Amino acid sequence: MAYELISGCQAAALAAQRAGVDLVAAYPITPQTAIVETLASFEAQGELKGEFVSVESEYSALSYCNGAVAAGARVFTATSSHGLAYMHEMTQWCSGARFPIVMVNVNRTVGAPWVLDPDQGDSLSQRDTGWMQIYCANAQEVFDITLQAFLLSEELLLPTMVVFDGFYISHTYEPVDVPEMEQAREFIGPPQFQAQVVPGIQANLHGLSTGEAQLQLVRKRHEDMLRAPEIFADINNRFEKVFGRGYMPVEAVIPEGAKTAFLAAGSTAETVRWFLPELESCGLIQLRMFRPFPKDELGRIVEEHGLDRLIIVDRNCSTGTGGYFAQETRAALYGLNERPVVQDLLLAGGIDLTEDILAGAAQKSPGDGFVDLQWGVELR
Amino acid sequence: MKITDYTMENELMYSGHNACPGCGGALAVRYLTRALGPNLALAITASCWSIIAGAPPLTALKCPILHCPFPSAGAVGSGLRRGLNAKGHYDTTVVVLAGDGGTFDIGLQALSGAAQRNEDYIFICYDNEAYMNTGMQTSSATPFGARTTTRPYPLFKHGQKKDIMRIMAAHGIPYAATASLAFPQDMENKLKKAQEMKGFRFMHVLSPCPPGWGTDSSDTIHLSRLAVFTNFFPLYEIINGEQWRMTYHPEKTRTPLKEYLEAQRRFRQVDEVTIEALQEEVDQDWEGLLKRVSTSNAEK
Amino acid sequence: MSDKTEQAVYEYACGTEPSSLNKTGGWRLAAPEKAKRLSPCCKDCLLHSEVPDWMEAVKGGRWEEAWQIMSRTNPFPALTGHVCFSPCIENCNRGRLDQELDIPTIERAIGEWRFENYQPRKGPRKIKDPVAVVGSGPAGLSCAFYLAAEGYKVTVFERSPIIGGMLALGIPEYRLPRDILTKELAILEEEGVSFVTSRALGKDMQLPELASEFREIFLATGAWLPREENIPGADKKGVYHALDFLSMINTREHPEIEDPVVVIGGGNAAVDSARCALRLNGVNHVSLVYRRSRAEMPAHPPEVEAAELEGVELIFNANPAEIKAEAASGQVESVTFNYSKTNREGLIVDKSSTFKKDCGSVILALGQEPDYSVFNNLDREMAIFAGGDLVSGPATVPEAIRGGRLEAMNIAAKMEGRSGPEVPGFSEQPVGFEELNLLARPDLELQDRQKEPGPEAGRCLGCGTCNSCGVCYLFCPDVAVDWLNNSYELNLDYCKGCGICVVECPARALALEGGY
Repeated sequence: MAYELISGCQAAALAAQRAGVDLVAAYPITPQTAIVETLASFEAQGELKGEFVSVESEYSALSYCNGAVAAGARVFTATSSHGLAYMHEMTQWCSGARFPIVMVNVNRTVGAPWVLDPDQGDSLSQRDTGWMQIYCANAQEVFDITLQAFLLSEELLLPTMVVFDGFYISHTYEPVDVPEMEQAREFIGPPQFQAQVVPGIQANLHGLSTGEAQLQLVRKRHEDMLRAPEIFADINNRFEKVFGRGYMPVEAVIPEGAKTAFLAAGSTAETVRWFLPELESCGLIQLRMFRPFPKDELGRIVEEHGLDRLIIVDRNCSTGTGGYFAQETRAALYGLNERPVVQDLLLAGGIDLTEDILAGAAQKSPGDGFVDLQWGVELR
Repeated sequence: MKITDYTMENELMYSGHNACPGCGGALAVRYLTRALGPNLALAITASCWSIIAGAPPLTALKCPILHCPFPSAGAVGSGLRRGLNAKGHYDTTVVVLAGDGGTFDIGLQALSGAAQRNEDYIFICYDNEAYMNTGMQTSSATPFGARTTTRPYPLFKHGQKKDIMRIMAAHGIPYAATASLAFPQDMENKLKKAQEMKGFRFMHVLSPCPPGWGTDSSDTIHLSRLAVFTNFFPLYEIINGEQWRMTYHPEKTRTPLKEYLEAQRRFRQVDEVTIEALQEEVDQDWEGLLKRVSTSNAEK
Repeated sequence: MSDKTEQAVYEYACGTEPSSLNKTGGWRLAAPEKAKRLSPCCKDCLLHSEVPDWMEAVKGGRWEEAWQIMSRTNPFPALTGHVCFSPCIENCNRGRLDQELDIPTIERAIGEWRFENYQPRKGPRKIKDPVAVVGSGPAGLSCAFYLAAEGYKVTVFERSPIIGGMLALGIPEYRLPRDILTKELAILEEEGVSFVTSRALGKDMQLPELASEFREIFLATGAWLPREENIPGADKKGVYHALDFLSMINTREHPEIEDPVVVIGGGNAAVDSARCALRLNGVNHVSLVYRRSRAEMPAHPPEVEAAELEGVELIFNANPAEIKAEAASGQVESVTFNYSKTNREGLIVDKSSTFKKDCGSVILALGQEPDYSVFNNLDREMAIFAGGDLVSGPATVPEAIRGGRLEAMNIAAKMEGRSGPEVPGFSEQPVGFEELNLLARPDLELQDRQKEPGPEAGRCLGCGTCNSCGVCYLFCPDVAVDWLNNSYELNLDYCKGCGICVVECPARALALEGGY
């Protein structure tokens, strides 16, 4: 194993390179810029199999991918924050058209005002667009999962958004095991999907249709996406055999006897994992897959460990409701016989997650001044 | 061109599509697919053609059509071109079809980006001078004086029609041309010429819309012809953004603009004074065009 | 793996079947249809021949079809192509563009095609009742053609030993090569027409006799009697009547013509006589003297020009006063003329102004009239048909052919107990040049007359008749015009009735039925 000291952005770019993408179309935005620059430098050095195109906007970046993937090309793009928001029409179009596009989103607050901190609201507000979303906790995960995302997307004919935090991951240098090109290429293989646009074959793709046809399409898309945890697990089993590591859609680290667990996605999961020894009888549930939401897997973990309390780390806020992850968790566990208490720890905007905050949140147990929504800033 | 050289086998457009009777846009696509086909892939942005092309299980064209959202056409076409290249389909001609909204307005960003990068495909704007698919709302291609549903009677569109050809010329693209449905030979020649070139090629086709313009469906060709004869829509081409060349000079057929305007109910509220002013504008534009033509000839 | 997903995409979000499954013809509020309008050539044609239709067939190389259309009104195009003065080209709209269509040449070509491709009918034919045609001129032959085509047994009686009437005896060979008539007659005989020559009605046979032998009789004995003008000296030696003179020339009997020759008259017979006379050995000078002005000459102007070019001296406004003969031999030696002109009252002759023209022979071409004695012995009970010059007075070959055809139809109708054909009136205005939408034709170029019939027929603008220019096909937004069976056909399964084809049709051969 050869570790390289690279940033999350570089890890994402390397994964796209190793995946042998035919086309990268992208537009720069902080904190995603390093991905664009790294891919451009690969092209400059003749180390990119496909083409890298600097386009005029994020909207065009995704549109560009749209055209190329329709022809059967493996495509990649990356964005962040306002860029993702600007793509909103195209994100839905891509999933509706069943285009297996892989996009990296580096979390950053959506203004106003201009804020660079890694609020997750940019990607979470895209949760209903038909994209699979996987949150990475460190640069190694960024590399591995971005690479795997091509297989996942191509298997399910759905786009995948690989998400990680701005700065905490995007700009932090970590030792990452980057497989050799050949090994990575052998694992991922050539594009595994049929082109929709094939010259000489008449096909009127994604034009006018009916509500009833859309019902069938939405249903199929939903049912296909529900297969994602299983496919993701399969891919990781194979990945593990080759590279010696693998991931699950949800993972738990629950110390013996612990009845409380933090649920976190992205770099916050890594932070919680770091402080676990300091937090008495608290566990961690790391949520990687957010779409589809791994409801069954989460329920199994809760029941298996008899957890009675979950503290959800939400570096986001859906104004008027609270954190996205907390909402989703509550909804997912509603069917359990023994429902745990779900407490929402809000870090919206993007303050650092410190030991104080974690400890403070853990202390606020039911009957001890419990509130179901706790602003992290009050616990510092 | 001999019309009789064409047979139904040359046609890439099927009967039974969903265009209104007398649709200029339908005819534009019939010409362009026939001229550029059969190895053709089309990206169509939100426009009347989103409907005309038919709903599953039907298709109106004998080639792949990739529909795409309104602002995206320029980029989708670029991606499609490179995607096809990646798959080895270098010989396939990629065409992006957009209405005036998808070209002049919401699609301008992607169009400009693709043109600036000199992406290798043909962008065709069928211009019916308003948002016709949604029912005749003003676009920046709507000519001064026209009534629309967002400038209803007694209001009418103020401000000049955007000069998309000069915008495209300013991008320095290898080829840009105007075309009229009444001059199918000219249109075909230009399309074939464009097809033989590489890089970004642009065509602007005036496409009369009978329900939108308030004209008889039978007058589509007649109006297309009048638009050329009145110099409202001159026929020319621009090579590399510099060499301007007329492809039809209406010396013998020059007609007062009034005749063109009066044939359309959308201009019915335009009074004599305005008609005169419009005539002057058309004359000025024409002089400007002639100047660009003669200047570029001199440079040659 | 994702086969099912792809299936779903293809089933619900992708059209792969032709939209032609969608019969948009149901949207239509009005339907275009082929609507023929009168062409100038057809209006001006003495035979009312459907010129644009057979032009279209010739253009497509479909000669059999061209012949079928032609023979609906003209059974002898090779003949008429030579002798007709072609009023059809006078208002030809193509003339406004570059040059009139060469209609007679193509007309002849159709006739000649038929000569080469005529096949006698095979197998036994049911022969219907016998009909007698008296007179073998163009009217008689035309009537015989159409009756024979209907299956009637036709016998043509000719008073002269030569068949053809005016075609054989009156029209000079330079205007109608004799082999053409011979070929036409051969085909008529193949079609079952019998000819009896040297049998003159009133002399060798009588009407009642014919009536007993034939179910119907058609008289077409022409107009051969010279009009008497009472010119003193007209009985002198060396004075000929034009038709006698022309008959002699055509039958190779050599008239005794002495130089110089004076032809008196201004009609076609006069011009033909003058040109024939000039062709005779020993004749060096021919004068044609007409009592009115040149503009008033009934002769076909191109024929007059040809005569002039050949050297015939043309003298106008001179009325013959007297023909004088040499006392000793009785042979004519001069004609005296008075100055004359026409005004509102008619011809004014100024007897005070005279001039003399010396001559060796005189040909009088002062007009001719029918010999009505053929109607002698006509029983009140007896119904007979008549046509050609006998009915109309001296007219043209095509008019006689038309008369013969119409009477053939009347005769057949009578025998079959139905009413006769309705003769179309041409009150309609023909399609004018301004009406033609030639702007719509991207293929139209200025073009001189073409040598080959096909390309020349291709110059026809088809005024009022579909000439397959393809503009309807070109401009149809619904791809609802098909090329089927050699013509463009409107496909009403898909036609939305926009009417572009109707407005754009360069030939004005479409109409919108139903309106909005």
